[in-house]
Amino acid sequence: MSNKLSSSVPTDREVVLGILNNSEDALNRLYVGYFPMILQFILNNSGDEDDAKDVYQEAIIILYNKIKGGDFELSSKLKTYIYSVCRRIWLKKLSQESKRTNLSDFEDMESVEVDMELHEEKDKQFEKMQSAIIHLGEPCKTIIQDFYINNLSMQDISEKFGYTNTDNAKTQKYKCLQRLKKLFFQS
Amino acid sequence: MSAEIKKIIFPIIKDMRNEMELESIIEDYLNGKLSEAEAQAFEQLRKNDPTVDHKVVAHKVFLDSLKDYASITALKDQMNRVHETIDVNQLSAKLGPHPSFIVNIWREYKAVIAVAASFIILTSVSIYSIQQNTRQNATVQLVSRDLAKMRNSTNALIRDIKMNNKVGQVVVNPADIGGTGFALTSNGYICTNFHVIDGADSVYVQNFRGDTFKAKVELTDTLHDLTILKIIDKSFLPLSILPYNLKKNTIAIGEDVYTLGFPKDDAVLGNGYISSKTGYDGDTSSYQVNIQVNGGNSGGPLIDTKGNVIGVISGKEKQVDGATFAIKAKYLQTALNGISDDSLSRKVSFNNKSSLQGLSRSKQIKLIEPYVFMIKVYKQ
Repeated sequence: MSNKLSSSVPTDREVVLGILNNSEDALNRLYVGYFPMILQFILNNSGDEDDAKDVYQEAIIILYNKIKGGDFELSSKLKTYIYSVCRRIWLKKLSQESKRTNLSDFEDMESVEVDMELHEEKDKQFEKMQSAIIHLGEPCKTIIQDFYINNLSMQDISEKFGYTNTDNAKTQKYKCLQRLKKLFFQS
Repeated sequence: MSAEIKKIIFPIIKDMRNEMELESIIEDYLNGKLSEAEAQAFEQLRKNDPTVDHKVVAHKVFLDSLKDYASITALKDQMNRVHETIDVNQLSAKLGPHPSFIVNIWREYKAVIAVAASFIILTSVSIYSIQQNTRQNATVQLVSRDLAKMRNSTNALIRDIKMNNKVGQVVVNPADIGGTGFALTSNGYICTNFHVIDGADSVYVQNFRGDTFKAKVELTDTLHDLTILKIIDKSFLPLSILPYNLKKNTIAIGEDVYTLGFPKDDAVLGNGYISSKTGYDGDTSSYQVNIQVNGGNSGGPLIDTKGNVIGVISGKEKQVDGATFAIKAKYLQTALNGISDDSLSRKVSFNNKSSLQGLSRSKQIKLIEPYVFMIKVYKQ
């Protein structure tokens, strides 16, 4: 089978520098460039398009965190890395569902165990935070997101929610944060 | 700031005011916003007071997690946006498994087989048509009459609420027609059926708390009977991240599904299962669902057990009990793509994983409820 990837795949160096410099374009091109490879792998190993999307996005997150964490060395090819991570994630999912685990391969691979363990730890934290935020309720959820994620000032938030002064908004934010912390640390 | 620190160093910190100040100092300290002297004083305090030290560590863990959460959420949003630009169906047709030998033969000798087959079909059709000419006409007529009857028998699930409408906050007059809609984005884009708002003079949406907001029609897709509304009311505060996900793949017959809708003024749950992958008269753009719905359910989300939105309730067949139709979510995504990215801001993409997965039905509904709206339509 000759399924060549499209020619617009950025070079490994471009991707690493792009991600370090928060370039949306580099990430978009990376995403589009290697998705067919993973789609092919998943479709031919008893998965569907949604599985391919989930697995691929998880792998990109792992790569992203690794590059951002500064410990990505271009010792291997990016393509091999992404493929190996996806393969590892998919293998785990299949064995959880006790499906067959002899995979048909399409690319070279390398060991990614260490990164996977790190990622599972991070993913747990992410899910904890996500569930804490979901259970937080309004208006807390929006206040916290506006302040800590969208980087709005207390002044902006105070105006947005119609608080009479910034101190009231601060008190509200404090209470919200305490609740969120409680939800986060208890879960 | 240093005065504040001194104030805190001495008393045992108990009341909230001080706790609040301590936390804001910890935050400034962690973000490197304290001056050198202040930072030193604070480090001294940390050394002397283990409770403070513990708080600093906990707050750091927490803030780091929150920061990670924010950056991963943004990354997921971005990836979902790029993902929409990829023609996955075309790719999977090219890259998917080609299971058998027969498929390969087919691929190789496609042209030859096609010519041979069309010749055979042509021959047999002409013979058949010569023989059956008279009878065929009659059958065609019969079929078309059947169709007309069937068409009359599906009806839209619009609710006539002229009689029993409660007076809304903003709107004084009772609405002429009611339906259901659900949020597509946190900034006020709402999906419903086209037939709900068809011919509308003005459209209002009401949330589960009873607050009413003015909305305008942003986009209609009459082919699939879909409409996207945008809330334009100033009093509308953005919702938080959508708890559900749009599932674009066709799901299997027999899967349990449910819907929330507004056949009356409070949300009502309807429970059922997918009974066919095609809708009315073999329409591949919708499902047939065995679910009890009433007028007012039109435009409601059809949700699977994992909390994915898989379709939009659109109508039911009159003569068959429980045969409801729902437009597949795939076509909703197509409609969404018609809106320019600018106007949707960056919140158009759905969560990668539905956060409702694994929760009990009642918990899911509690989380979904704020995102389902009653649509009130006024006509002149």
